[in-house]
Amino acid sequence: MSTLTSLARAIAQEQQAAQPITTVRHVHISHRPFVFIPLALAGEANAPLAAMAGDDPGAPRLLTVPEPRDRDQRFAFAADLAAIILRYIESYLGDEETAGTTKETRTRYADAPQLLVPNPAGVAFTRLLGRSTRFRRTEGPYAVAESVPVLGRWLTFLAERAEHPASSLMLAVTDALALHWATGQSPMEDLNLGTLLGWIDPAPGLTGVQAAARAEDPVHCPPAGPATDPTFDNEVLESRFLAVRTAKATGDGRAMQRAKATLADALATQLTPTWTLMWRAVDLLRRLPPGDHVATRWNQDKDAFTWHANHLRDGGPPQPRRDSAVPAARRLAGLEKVQAEYAAQRAFDDPLVMAEYRMTGEAFAGTVTAAEPDRVDDSGRRRVLRPRITVETSDVVLAEPGASLTSPARPNQAARVLSVTAAGDRTSVVLELKGGMGRALTPEPGSVPTTGEAVCYATFTDGFQRLPEFPDPEDTPWTHGGPPPQYVPSDDDAQEEWS
Amino acid sequence: MNGTEAWLARIRGRALPRSHNARTIAALASNPGCARRAIMDAAGVDKQRLAAHAGFPASFGQSRFALTRGNAFEAQVKANGAAELLRLLREHLRLPIPEASYDDLSEVGGNISLELRHVRTRNMLARAARSPNDARPADNARLASDAGTMFDHPLLRLEVGGRYAYLEPDLIAFQIRGQFRVVEIKSFAVIDGRADGDKVAAAAIQSAVYVLALRDALAELGIPPAAVADETILVCPENFSSRPVAASLDVRKQLTVLRRQLSRLDRIDDLLGLLPGDLTFDLDPDGKGVPQRAPADLARAIRQVEARYAPECLNTCEMCFFCREEARGRTAALGRDALDDLGGVEQVATVLRLVRRALETGRPAPGPGQEPGQNLGPGSDMAEAADLLRTAARLRAESLGEAV
Amino acid sequence: MDDAVEALERRIDQLRVAVREAVVAGDRDGARALRGELKSAERAWEDALVRMEGGAPAASEPAAGERPGRHEPAGPLIPLREQVHQALSLLTVPAAPRLIVTVHEAFFAASFPVARLTSLRRDEERSFRSAPFARPYYICAALTADLLAPARGLLAISTWPMEKRVIGPLSPRVHFLTAAIRVAESIERIPGSDPDVRRLLWRFAANIPGAAGSAAAMEPRAVAEAARAELEIHEAADLDVRRPAAQRARRQLDDAAQLFGSRLQVSQPGRRAARQRGTAS
Repeated sequence: MSTLTSLARAIAQEQQAAQPITTVRHVHISHRPFVFIPLALAGEANAPLAAMAGDDPGAPRLLTVPEPRDRDQRFAFAADLAAIILRYIESYLGDEETAGTTKETRTRYADAPQLLVPNPAGVAFTRLLGRSTRFRRTEGPYAVAESVPVLGRWLTFLAERAEHPASSLMLAVTDALALHWATGQSPMEDLNLGTLLGWIDPAPGLTGVQAAARAEDPVHCPPAGPATDPTFDNEVLESRFLAVRTAKATGDGRAMQRAKATLADALATQLTPTWTLMWRAVDLLRRLPPGDHVATRWNQDKDAFTWHANHLRDGGPPQPRRDSAVPAARRLAGLEKVQAEYAAQRAFDDPLVMAEYRMTGEAFAGTVTAAEPDRVDDSGRRRVLRPRITVETSDVVLAEPGASLTSPARPNQAARVLSVTAAGDRTSVVLELKGGMGRALTPEPGSVPTTGEAVCYATFTDGFQRLPEFPDPEDTPWTHGGPPPQYVPSDDDAQEEWS
Repeated sequence: MNGTEAWLARIRGRALPRSHNARTIAALASNPGCARRAIMDAAGVDKQRLAAHAGFPASFGQSRFALTRGNAFEAQVKANGAAELLRLLREHLRLPIPEASYDDLSEVGGNISLELRHVRTRNMLARAARSPNDARPADNARLASDAGTMFDHPLLRLEVGGRYAYLEPDLIAFQIRGQFRVVEIKSFAVIDGRADGDKVAAAAIQSAVYVLALRDALAELGIPPAAVADETILVCPENFSSRPVAASLDVRKQLTVLRRQLSRLDRIDDLLGLLPGDLTFDLDPDGKGVPQRAPADLARAIRQVEARYAPECLNTCEMCFFCREEARGRTAALGRDALDDLGGVEQVATVLRLVRRALETGRPAPGPGQEPGQNLGPGSDMAEAADLLRTAARLRAESLGEAV
Repeated sequence: MDDAVEALERRIDQLRVAVREAVVAGDRDGARALRGELKSAERAWEDALVRMEGGAPAASEPAAGERPGRHEPAGPLIPLREQVHQALSLLTVPAAPRLIVTVHEAFFAASFPVARLTSLRRDEERSFRSAPFARPYYICAALTADLLAPARGLLAISTWPMEKRVIGPLSPRVHFLTAAIRVAESIERIPGSDPDVRRLLWRFAANIPGAAGSAAAMEPRAVAEAARAELEIHEAADLDVRRPAAQRARRQLDDAAQLFGSRLQVSQPGRRAARQRGTAS
């Protein structure tokens, strides 16, 4: 957290209503996202109990597992889920678009799917569901439906993207909301979708505190999963399971139908409220105007989606159980780079995020008090346009002479610090500008800040940073285990117990 | 019954006492400054019942499915003389084949009295610790069986806040090369070598509680702490199966934390000394056991004992909603980071007053001592905090185009 | 739908909420009472449904795709105690109920719930006390070597020599290995290999060093050999504990206590236990 976010929490606490901590939206929200709310059986590693899923708020699909400890029923659940999710994903494998630089173009899908789960635990469940299904074989012993391993590979892909800070292919909705609003409760409590929405968008007549408190009662507001409320398990679910088992033991078909129906009813009561909350969250997020870089990042998501779809189409192997050394290091460095880039982009898109950096002196904002827009530097071999401006700010300025700064308003223009002069609680910074002003020796209109203009300069850019060089996987140093064998799923993988 | 116990019994009232276990000790140690929890646990108060009657019920039950699964896995690992566990110990710690003896300490001749079991546990440990096992020839099974290898359900005890708490661990203390190790069996899965970090952390702190208790038991026999390893063994199901795997857990850090926290837990007598003599959490049950005490009266009694609420309590303490309500308006209730981020100022109202005054006058708020009645945290520098908050508020207002 | 049924459904929903609220409130008595009400409301609902469906008795047509469980109560053709006797005779060592059930399922293709075995020992003891040695055998206890008390959760056969029924610290391992050998030998005697029986053997083999590399590659003979090899290491030490304990049992315990163990009393454990050992109850 930061002082600004914590201050917003303090205000939220006092006002009894959530406070915005951004001025724009920093995640992509699809016009047709797929909402997936899984429930798991308590005590098991990854036993699906039920799920509500779909891309139409008015038509949720309810999937249930009458005997979650039964392996066959788990795979039947996976197959049912695959039927819905794969149809949704495949609907994006049509329209294509051209992307890339003018020199090097590529084709990618024009849009990508988006999977929304309630919370980080939902992402973890999805990752494990992917892990437990992607190695399965569709023939021979322990065969599963053909769609099951495909589902596993897509879920694995999406759950990996969810770890990517800049990706919106799969979002935990609590994270997405908490990125934009501060509540008057702790970050830990923000993991509860119901209370979080209570603070952000309370029901009419309620304060945020009241709405949150109401959402905390698991008997009347079921938790958003994957864990169910223990009193639901003990007082409702257990007897419904028993009815299913009894009907099976006695071979009473009518009783079995009734038992399954009442079980499904009970599970629906635990899922429907969350389904409503999820779409309310989608609406709230949609209402925020998107930041400028959101589309850029979504394009990267489309690239990743296209890559994975092609990989599947071309018969590539499933994701390994564990990354070997080089891919792991590359992924980690990739994530760090993405993280830095993403943070910078958010700051450039959003003055309220930039304010975080102004707190720490990594950026400052102020007014232009003097400008020499036509200044030409003729000391070198060639005469070049190098305007100078003086910015006065009351922010902390940590930049020192020689540093290169960038302004969100003119990201293609570099500003070199010439001098920093503090007087009282105000600081004057003289900057020399380069680039982004056209090719002539006089700047294009508007390309140089004018006197009286409010400007902001940061010590970082939103630009591309090169990835550190890594050896190809074939050249993995022996110290890191040597080149990895290509991952070939074994019989063991395919037959692994899921019980 | 000594004076302290009588006092605690009066505080508990007519309800049946509830006892400590490794989980409650771990929770207590995670928030040692909380006198409310220390007193309630020492008195064996039913916190869930109390919180609910005072108007703040909190669901802290466990799903029967989770319990069933946990028990089934434990039973499986321990079945047939702990055959599966023995294999793991042989593979994981190169336990010599002759060492296969298994002692069940869960009852003494059909008797499950805690004291009796504790005595027997101590006797077994003493015998094991005194056996000349360093020079044990690998093929001499006679000596090995004398010393014992696996001890199921030992009954240990630990001094918490000046009183002994019996620990009913579902574990096997196991002895190899003259050193004991705590084995903890948990039913959460290790998938591709990774397990849920929170669950591993919880298991580690619980194991550490057992290590401490085991060391205490041995210390009473004059055996040094080194006789119990800092490394414990965690046994969990692997991947999506119920096949067990073992992993070593280094709990040195947890031991340090626990020891320090337990010693900081004020002696319960000192805490009691601060309380009114007539304090009781008795619910005044009628003939049918229905509480007759007015909730507001109970709440007043609870408030007599000081709490130290943090959001983490929501995971560990049945009183959490009561204490959270009481702590509303404190920055610490917004999370551990918030208090730091806001310059250590303890009250949200103070934060906002500092901010607004600074914004109005354009000057920093008054320094320490100039604002009476403001409760600042220890080490908080009012002027510095005010500066920080003023900047944050100005930047927020500027960026949003509105006042705070 | 019938008004009464709907009213009952509303009532059931309300009661279910009330039970959960009582649980959250830590009100155990309240929850128990409400659960009782809930149960009778549910029963009334079931009855109402059956009436509505024209009084059709339950358990008529099995639904398509619903196969009944594998091990159905096929009617107790053989009394439970005899089934337990069969399994124990195969194993030749005291065993826990779960193992007894698994062995019986694998070799005799009949199952019974583990829970039923918990009361068996008590029934046997009652029968013995009312008419000692009236039956050719009793399903009895194994005794702990130190206190000659019934060992937790183990069943044995009364006709076995006392040495077989007293349990020292190494005995659980000795039993495990012996059982493995017996299961392996029994498999060798049956032609063909039933998957249930092999699965049972694998559960032993997986935990015996050198017994088998994998379930598929498992050879019963090799399992038995590996088990024998480890057994040899433990046997003598185990007997050293069992033999004197068995002598003590024969000397100190009366007939009933020899079969079902002596029990400590809660108060004054030491003295009472000694007295009990001498006189038995």
